[in-house]
Amino acid sequence: MESAATRSHFEKLESKVDEGVGNVIEWLALVRRFKLRRSEKVTTHGCALLRDSSLRRKLGSEVWTVYEQVAIAAMDCQCLDVSKMCIEVLIAKFPNSARVGRLEGMLYEAKGQWQQAETKYQTLLELQPSDAFAYKRKVAIAKAQGNLGAAIEALKQYLDTFMADQEAWRELAEIYIALQKYSQAAFCYEELILMETANATWHLMYAEVQYTLGGLENLRIARKYYASAIKLSAGKNLRSLYGLCMCSAVLSQTKGRAKDEEGTELQSLASSVIMKKYKEKCPNKARLVTSFLEKQKL
Amino acid sequence: MVGKYEIGAKAYLKAVLHAAKYKTCAVNGLLIGRVKGDGLDNFSLQILECVPLFHNHLALLPMLEVALLQVEEHFSTVDGGLQIVGYYHANERFDDFELNAVARKIGDHIIRYCPQAVILMLDHKQLAALPKSGSRKPVMQLYMRDVSRVWKQGGTTAELVFQDTTTNNLLEAYMADGRQRLVVDFDEHLDDISKDWMNRALFD
Repeated sequence: MESAATRSHFEKLESKVDEGVGNVIEWLALVRRFKLRRSEKVTTHGCALLRDSSLRRKLGSEVWTVYEQVAIAAMDCQCLDVSKMCIEVLIAKFPNSARVGRLEGMLYEAKGQWQQAETKYQTLLELQPSDAFAYKRKVAIAKAQGNLGAAIEALKQYLDTFMADQEAWRELAEIYIALQKYSQAAFCYEELILMETANATWHLMYAEVQYTLGGLENLRIARKYYASAIKLSAGKNLRSLYGLCMCSAVLSQTKGRAKDEEGTELQSLASSVIMKKYKEKCPNKARLVTSFLEKQKL
Repeated sequence: MVGKYEIGAKAYLKAVLHAAKYKTCAVNGLLIGRVKGDGLDNFSLQILECVPLFHNHLALLPMLEVALLQVEEHFSTVDGGLQIVGYYHANERFDDFELNAVARKIGDHIIRYCPQAVILMLDHKQLAALPKSGSRKPVMQLYMRDVSRVWKQGGTTAELVFQDTTTNNLLEAYMADGRQRLVVDFDEHLDDISKDWMNRALFD
């Protein structure tokens, strides 16, 4: 979400909606805008909204977007009847629509009817070869069946054409990590760093993967990228601060190397920032964390 | 290896509620307790507490190491001294019962410090069927490592039992109440330091 103020506004609105007094239309719009996964609530509140004819009129042309939103949320909760109902309304309004076709494909997926889903997406791709959504659903089908190898192949094929799609690179990295293929995951994060050099997340993830790979050289790389993640997040990212301490601790234990003064200084700096944060926002764990950090320095 | 395995309500509830909170992810966590008896025969392992760890990137090392060290240190001073006695894991997919490779690796690591350590794999199907089945058994598969260093299911000679047989009733009550929303894991703590991975307020 964009800011703490926005998040706070959303949370207050959500509480009111849950109590039955909030503006459901606004809440649903915010859920769509921030791409939040609130499937159970969207299904409940969305259905109530769609059943109310005066509220439906109030939505105007937005009603079709809400039908789509509720259809997807209902699938996520396995409320397939609700989903089917919404999709039928959309088919009646928009016959031969590719966008509605995607929903039909997703419903097959939700039912576990993989072959029908694949056929649907293949049809969509034949009509529109640049339909990125249909490609991604094919990856999702492979993942849902537990076939991570096929998911990887499908993603690689997709990225051959759509090489600037960050979401796809990120998904591929996560699948590689789940399979413990860390070098391949590192490659994906390298692509993401090249595409978005100032995004601390990519630097952090790259560092985490390098640390997991292990070995002196990878640990040095990890430390470098934890440091850049700290810089890019203005020292706010706790994982990168911890990561830097862990790297430095392992590197300083290496025998026969010249004392790495810069490394020790970095570790001290990171440790003091961590301790300050805990004292301010989590004092009940300050002693534990101080002790942990002291042990890393030894 | 012959032993008795018991799980306390707090530990069980935290683990299962953690999985219930993150239905669309694989989750994992540490099991804390004590072992009575020294060898690999005739011991009793009690799982008394639990620290939910991650719901993202379970196979990455750095934050796991941070968590292991902090959890170990914290519990060494609790209740006369408790140790890490196991690890729990819930796979991402509903129908996936395989003992995950990451789970095995982490289990191998924990065994170095606790030779009787166990891995508990959450059984999603049993959990989903709980309201109808009324089962008084934990919805988990217990795995132990045999002498050939292979993780195997406990079977009938090594069954996990509740310390309190009404634990599943409590679980159903908490889930009906939506208590899982309040579970905090180490991942969340790293994103917001004010969140308590010890979940001290969870059962208030």
